[in-house]
Amino acid sequence: MKHSVLDADEALRPASVDISTGVDAQVSHLVEVWGDTVDIRHLAWSVALGIGISLGAFSAANYFLALYVHEVAMTRAYAMLVGLAGCLIAGAVCAKLFKPKRVVVDQSSDTARREEVLDQLAAEAGGLGFVADLPLPVVIEMKELGLYDVFLKHEQRIEAKRRALDEDFVTTNKSTSKEAS
Amino acid sequence: MDALAHQVLVAVSMGLIGAIVFAGIGLISGTDETTTLAPLTLLVALLGVPPVGVFTFFMAGAVAKHMTHAIPTALLGIPGDTLAAPLLQQATMLRNLGVPHIALRKMISGAIIAAFVAVPLAVLFAVLLAPFGPSISKAAPWVFLAAAVAIAYFSSGRWASVLLLVPFVLVIVGLQALTGKYGVKLSVSYFLGIAIGPLIADLFSILSPTDRAMMRRDRVKTFSLAPDVKGWSGYFPNPLKVLDRQQRNWTIATAAVSSATFVFSPVAMTVVMGELVGSRIKHAYHRLTTVIAARNGVTEATYIAEALIPLIAFGLPLSPVAAGPAAPLFNAPPRFFVDTATGHMNNLHTLMTSWEFLGYGLLSVVLAALIAYPFSMNYAHRAASFVARRLSHEAIIATFAGLIVVISVWEGQLLGFLVIVTIGLLGGLLSRRFGFNTGVQFMGYYAAVLSVPALTKLIA
Repeated sequence: MKHSVLDADEALRPASVDISTGVDAQVSHLVEVWGDTVDIRHLAWSVALGIGISLGAFSAANYFLALYVHEVAMTRAYAMLVGLAGCLIAGAVCAKLFKPKRVVVDQSSDTARREEVLDQLAAEAGGLGFVADLPLPVVIEMKELGLYDVFLKHEQRIEAKRRALDEDFVTTNKSTSKEAS
Repeated sequence: MDALAHQVLVAVSMGLIGAIVFAGIGLISGTDETTTLAPLTLLVALLGVPPVGVFTFFMAGAVAKHMTHAIPTALLGIPGDTLAAPLLQQATMLRNLGVPHIALRKMISGAIIAAFVAVPLAVLFAVLLAPFGPSISKAAPWVFLAAAVAIAYFSSGRWASVLLLVPFVLVIVGLQALTGKYGVKLSVSYFLGIAIGPLIADLFSILSPTDRAMMRRDRVKTFSLAPDVKGWSGYFPNPLKVLDRQQRNWTIATAAVSSATFVFSPVAMTVVMGELVGSRIKHAYHRLTTVIAARNGVTEATYIAEALIPLIAFGLPLSPVAAGPAAPLFNAPPRFFVDTATGHMNNLHTLMTSWEFLGYGLLSVVLAALIAYPFSMNYAHRAASFVARRLSHEAIIATFAGLIVVISVWEGQLLGFLVIVTIGLLGGLLSRRFGFNTGVQFMGYYAAVLSVPALTKLIA
């Protein structure tokens, strides 16, 4: 189940190759409904199947149970149970028929992304903080995760940058005053 | 003694069923509590399960779903449901640091601890509020009106939502008069219609060429699934050891505070409490993990308190959760009902004592933890991968389309179906356009049912 770059490329073209035939047609049929992407033709089928199967199950159960059970309220409650089972069956059928229109990529831990988060955290209100301030259990936890050194290095880098910037500030101040004059 | 043993047996088995079913549902992101918890709890109530069984089914289900919805949140970066949205930022950062399992473990451990804190505290607060119960239920029509206005004002629509209550309530009153003519009385259809409103509105939009153009996408979405990391020996880690002392204390403190509030939205409480905790912690990594644990604890505690306090103290669904997902505990006609005209009430409030709520509430949390915790620890990656790669959105829509039809036809044949579509479309559009969210709409329903008759009596 290793998805790679190839899959991401594929995503730009058809979403579910096994059902549709036209590649270009597929692209224009994608719509976002209720928070996720669907194929509009599959959507029509799934609504029809959802209503058909569950209503069919409910009506059939209501009819047949009424022949054997004479308490109306109970009959209807059990028919509802069967109807809800029908909903699940409809869901299972549609899951079988229509493949998801999403690409799932296995995210490998990459250092670039890690650095991005560290920069983001450093820019936040509380800043990155110092590992020296951490209570022991947190230090142990971070060391186990291999994050202790990552945070420490980043914190040192920020510190170094700040110091360099301070020195820079002095020198640039001199140079800008020169340029200005 | 035999009766008690029987009761406990019923409660344990219903709690287990609820925990297993909703641990599964929690994995499917986007499944809202109201659309899943409310109909299934209603079903359990209508099938004649004893009150304690209905209660443990609901509670164990809610807590288990809350635990497993952390899985898509932590591993895929998709909020498990509306309650998980405020946790997404921290979860995504931890995921990008390469420690998604830490996000998941902190979240779930926070939730377990908060649940154990919230149940006894919510019962305690309810008992303290209970003396006001009779006067509140006598004034129920006005209390609901005030609550509807307050909840509307605190929704993202602000004054628009407050004013929108008028047309919305009018439509419900009109629909009720219409169905009443044919001897059909609906309640669940309104709830479900409101909860699934966004889907119904989207399905209408897709039929309109102008709206469809805006909904078109030229590519599918890409999700990146965080890798599977197992960092402990044995079957699952001890939830108490997952959090350090500071994290435990913060989780307990914020959970305790949020257990006392039952009218605010859980999402708002979560954001506020998270900020409060975050500002006290110096190191960024520690801040991330503490905030995520505390926030998930707050959503859990607020949720439990919002269901339990109105149920125990008043027997009236006076909070967004009680009016939505927990509604069948108050109202499941013909079995459970509230009649404000006569003040007569027959629901879990009258059928269970405070001690029973406490005992069975804790039992539900234990059952949910026993099922959902080891599951999330061991199978999170596989489950998230399966749902994302195998379960199409079409299949989920098919299930909910079926649900709308079955429940509405069950309650009111064709009329029920027409009402559910009407109210779903209206609610969905108002929520999309004005931020008149489902919580406000639920209160609008109660205002229509309870406050409007009192208002008309006052004017006449």
